[in-house]
Amino acid sequence: MAREIEPGFYWIYEGGPDRSEMFAAEGSSPAWANPDEAVYIPQCAYLLCGEEESLLLDTLSPAGSDHILDELEALLDGDGLDYLVVSHPDVPHAGNTLAILDAYPDATLVAPRYGDDHELYRLDDALRVGEGDEIDLGGYVVAFHEATFLDAPVSLWMSERTTDTLFPIDWLGFPHGESEALQFVDELDAPLGDDRLVQFHGRVLFWHQYVDVSKVKREIDRLIATHEPEQLAPAHGLVVRREATEQMTRMKGVVEEIERRDRIGTLG
Amino acid sequence: MPATIPLTGGVRWINECFAHEDAHEHVSVYLIETETAAILIDSGSFYHREAIAERIDQATGGDGPEAIVLSHSDYPHAGNISTIRDRWDDVELVASSGSPELQGLSDAQRCTIGDSRTVLDRRFSFVDPPLADRSHTAWIYDHGSGVLFTADGFGSYHEPADCDRTSRQFEDNVPRETIYQYHANNLAWLRYVDPEKLEAALASIFETYDISYVAPIHGHPISGRELPEFTNRLVDVAGCIASEYEVPEP
Ligand SMILES: [Zn+2]
Ligand SMILES: [Zn+2]
Repeated sequence: MAREIEPGFYWIYEGGPDRSEMFAAEGSSPAWANPDEAVYIPQCAYLLCGEEESLLLDTLSPAGSDHILDELEALLDGDGLDYLVVSHPDVPHAGNTLAILDAYPDATLVAPRYGDDHELYRLDDALRVGEGDEIDLGGYVVAFHEATFLDAPVSLWMSERTTDTLFPIDWLGFPHGESEALQFVDELDAPLGDDRLVQFHGRVLFWHQYVDVSKVKREIDRLIATHEPEQLAPAHGLVVRREATEQMTRMKGVVEEIERRDRIGTLG
Repeated sequence: MPATIPLTGGVRWINECFAHEDAHEHVSVYLIETETAAILIDSGSFYHREAIAERIDQATGGDGPEAIVLSHSDYPHAGNISTIRDRWDDVELVASSGSPELQGLSDAQRCTIGDSRTVLDRRFSFVDPPLADRSHTAWIYDHGSGVLFTADGFGSYHEPADCDRTSRQFEDNVPRETIYQYHANNLAWLRYVDPEKLEAALASIFETYDISYVAPIHGHPISGRELPEFTNRLVDVAGCIASEYEVPEP
């Protein structure tokens, strides 16, 4: 499944397994979820087709291998892929790197310059990028950033300049119901509550339990002031087209809530 | 190099190294010899594929392991699962991942963090790790030996002369600087850590489990005798990493 966010800017979506039992098993039947529906925490990849060149950010999980190759074939419509950017070498993000490079042997593999274990992730031959590096696709221009809230040290974030979209990878994800798949957050029937953000970040960025919350909140303020995005395109949530900085601001309450609770659970 | 370095209670360390410019990083696996079987903890990196398979072969008299218990799906830990399962038949795979198909581990049996289960004839508890990067990481406590396998936690870099040393072979424990370098490079979130919260979480694990050794994948095994001082250094290092990082002015 895929959706065009802007002309030539595609959101490629893999729902993954139904998570409703995970919530049920932990005794929390989320208020936002329709009890008859599956619950997903998706993997998202993003394809940007500029006037000159095309770029794919992330690869979906090994379970989505056929899906990403089919989508690329349909969306590129016979054109090649110029850049494959791996945000970090985590299996659900990077699991189809070799399959995509096999299908598009002329694509340049782009990897974070951060961290020091590139060889252990077979990224030693990749073009390494970070803060200050840009790729002009013609029309779309992507810029790379040091990832702020992350798991693996070999990590990057990305933004796109003409649409002011921030791609915060593992940050700003959240679960959604089956009928909400590929909807923009402003299209949801029920407004997106903090509880969904708490569920995601309490599991995935579980280390928030052990932090100085005031420092994390200062970091969130810095991110907002630095990027001032119009749109957010997370790897594990739905795309935010409106009030992006408000969404980021809400994360300050979310990290306070995670600190108040015991570990919510795991994921992945 | 010996095939394995014995620790305690049938646990053997199979230490491999990845050389950074100025220091080595262990990318190890551990083998547990029980009365009836051999169980492998993690599978190592593709980078050391032949060496690890050879050393397992030697240590098990050619029989190989009957099971692999995986701390998490990160490539340097999960890189040789299919090699090992191709070479030896019927190797059971146990992993804490809640969605093994997303992690490329489709037929893994699931263990739940916070629970215990018996693998072959050995009882393991899966511990919620305060020092990890991936969400689904479990620390693995082996009740038979008292060894706590800590995945990416409790690591350190080392000098090329120190590859085979456990904490016992250092005059003054594992050097603080090598603990610092490893954690500064690998656990990025420590820049936000509140060291008291980390210390409390570690203390609670040490109260719950009687630990003979802490066995990291990326560092020297730490015996119970050196563990309190190592932990002091670790908490101190975490505090330093946090205090060295100021949130920049936008
Ligand atoms: Zn590791
Ligand atoms: Zn070494």
